[in-house]
Amino acid sequence: MYPQQIHQYIRRFFKENNCEIIRENDHFINVQLTVEMDKRIMNRPFYWKYLESTGDEPNPAQLTLITDKNRLQEAIAGEVVHYGSPRLNQLFQVTKELGSFVQMYERATTQSGTQTILTPWVGVNYKITYSSDRTQETLYSLGINLMTGAIINGFQESISGLNLESSISPNTFHLPYTIKPLRALERLDAVIENQIQHDDHTWAEEAKERLRKDLLVLEYFYRGIEDEDRPECYESEKKAMEEQYETRIKVEIINGGLFYLKSI
Amino acid sequence: MQIEWSSEWKEGFMERLEDRKAWDSWMLYNMCYDVEKSKLITDFHGLQSPKYLPELTPFPHQLEAAETVIERMNGKAILADEVGLGKTIQAGLILKEYLIRGLVKKALILVPASLINQWVEELNQKFHIPTIQYKKAYDLNYCNIVIASMDMAKRSPHKENIYAQDFDLIIIDEAHKLKNPKTKNYEFVQNLKKKFCLLLTATPIQNDVFELFNLISLLKPGHLGNFETFQSVFSASKHNVEEDEFLKELINQVMVRNSRHDTGIEWTNRRVKTIPLEFSEKEKEVYDMISELKHVSPVFSGAFSMITLQKEICSSKHAAFLTLNEMRQKCTRPEEISFTDEIIQKLAELDVNTKAEKAYEIIQQANGEKVIIFTEYRASQAYLQNFLYEKGIVSVPFNGQFSKSKREWMKQLFKEKAQVLIATESGSEGINLQFCHHVINYDLPWNPMKLEQRIGRVHRLGQEHDVNIYNLAIKHTIEDHILELLNVKIGVFEKVVGELDDILSEYKLSI
Repeated sequence: MYPQQIHQYIRRFFKENNCEIIRENDHFINVQLTVEMDKRIMNRPFYWKYLESTGDEPNPAQLTLITDKNRLQEAIAGEVVHYGSPRLNQLFQVTKELGSFVQMYERATTQSGTQTILTPWVGVNYKITYSSDRTQETLYSLGINLMTGAIINGFQESISGLNLESSISPNTFHLPYTIKPLRALERLDAVIENQIQHDDHTWAEEAKERLRKDLLVLEYFYRGIEDEDRPECYESEKKAMEEQYETRIKVEIINGGLFYLKSI
Repeated sequence: MQIEWSSEWKEGFMERLEDRKAWDSWMLYNMCYDVEKSKLITDFHGLQSPKYLPELTPFPHQLEAAETVIERMNGKAILADEVGLGKTIQAGLILKEYLIRGLVKKALILVPASLINQWVEELNQKFHIPTIQYKKAYDLNYCNIVIASMDMAKRSPHKENIYAQDFDLIIIDEAHKLKNPKTKNYEFVQNLKKKFCLLLTATPIQNDVFELFNLISLLKPGHLGNFETFQSVFSASKHNVEEDEFLKELINQVMVRNSRHDTGIEWTNRRVKTIPLEFSEKEKEVYDMISELKHVSPVFSGAFSMITLQKEICSSKHAAFLTLNEMRQKCTRPEEISFTDEIIQKLAELDVNTKAEKAYEIIQQANGEKVIIFTEYRASQAYLQNFLYEKGIVSVPFNGQFSKSKREWMKQLFKEKAQVLIATESGSEGINLQFCHHVINYDLPWNPMKLEQRIGRVHRLGQEHDVNIYNLAIKHTIEDHILELLNVKIGVFEKVVGELDDILSEYKLSI
């Protein structure tokens, strides 16, 4: 992410969370946090505890973030943020907490008088992580039609251009689903599982081979010593290696939701 | 292979479907997806960390080292770059990479006490890795990235506390302190579970090749065979490394070493001069008398005490006086006592110190530029300070025992007020003095790596001038022998580990 992208991100983040932007230019931003945002990101639980007990007027903090300190002309006191900075990571985290579940309706653009019928979908963004002493991640965005059971890949990309709203437009109706959302989720999980089974797992074989070789080396060091006479560090060394090369597959859902669509 | 599913999202989804909780914002939903996409680690290979550290511009050799350690050495390595090439940066990059990839959650960093603050600062500020210094009252269960001094960590109850933790990565700085398997340090590290492990040292060999064997056996037992097989192949003579190529190859599998010339960075030159000096008549007389002592009295017959005295008298009469006076107390026979007293008498009468005069000459020729003098003895340090003061030259002392603030203060004084800094050996770790480019090795240590450490204080990234090094040695004394031995040790190092930058210059012998 470039400084401009980060600036845009931060701007949208605070606006979306109803934090008023007091001052800004392209390289810094000064916002008034809401009470809720202060509690989430300012890390001062004792202040809020204290306030609750005394009943005083809450005074949420203001935050000044500098998104491009190289181009900033004025002398502004604030936190410098960049990709990888702790503050930005924290905002990413909050975004995730507040952007996990949606229910969206496609906006009807037909003339008044005609009715629009929307089809229900469940869309889920998955992240698969393969790890040993190295890692690799893949994103899958899947969507399932709750009427037909049809599944499409690249769901997020397909809907990103649509005009979606959190409430249904007038004169618009949606079909009741025939596949229950939880059942649909299970079907998507099965697609992911199938995908994993068909992936190339050379990486796991290679990790096992690395472990085998390292264990051989270790055995060589203690050659000629009976098992029961081997020191404790032999066992801990062996355990460390098994952990080092342990192959794991993890599936995590980033976010997802219910979508009522007419265009796909 | 078992797939680990996280059921968290499903539960949240159910709550929303049942109207028990509100749905989230579409904008944040999309922002979240975009962030995940930008953070995605799409390849087992390559480094993610530079992307997260736009403020840091690592040198190519540092990035390459990080990649090599992770991909070729599977996260277990000795980082052995020459002094001043930024081993801390390499270690930071590796730690950061593992944190980003989620392979390391907890890490323990063991360093000499004097370097703790430096590490905490670098990791926090340069790498945004929240790091804390281990203190007595801390509960390690709640500390993810912890820095502790080796001296503290190896003692109870800290030792037990540390063993009870599940650290994913262990980093040990100044790891050459682990060369001896009979020490508490070694035993402590040996029993530590090391999943990923980095040992940092510019000087993996200080005296002989067994030190490297011990270090590697700590990291990866068996890599060089066990002790018996290693000994049978490599110990024909302690200083004679046979089968170099084979050994070198094995070592290269677990060790990254860049010399200054490998880095592609333009380095200023090192001009090393070994300056042979002649004692004055009077000094010579005292030196000979001291050497004679071993025949006069059994108190002085031990090789070690004799060598100590000989080295001391080559440094200053003050250094020798302390030892001599101490040993005199142990003498019993009248002729021993009178002979010793005679030496002490002559010692007191010495009015010229050849080495100090030479050092003064060098300082004068430096034309007001900063000079560092390294000596092995506190007594010589004090003497030199006084000697220079009388000549109108202001100097500041520097010892390893100084507290952090005093170190900083002395460094500041040296930078701004004094022309000369006089440091003892223990002062040669962890201070960076790039603004100075004259180094006088007033006394020579037995160990060439100590010389390298000293030079590394000034000849490091950020040095803009050629660096002048003056090694002072008195002819026909023990210092001849020290020089010779230094050369032999440098030879061993270069055969096994790789080229060393000049330490001793033209004096190089063929080995």
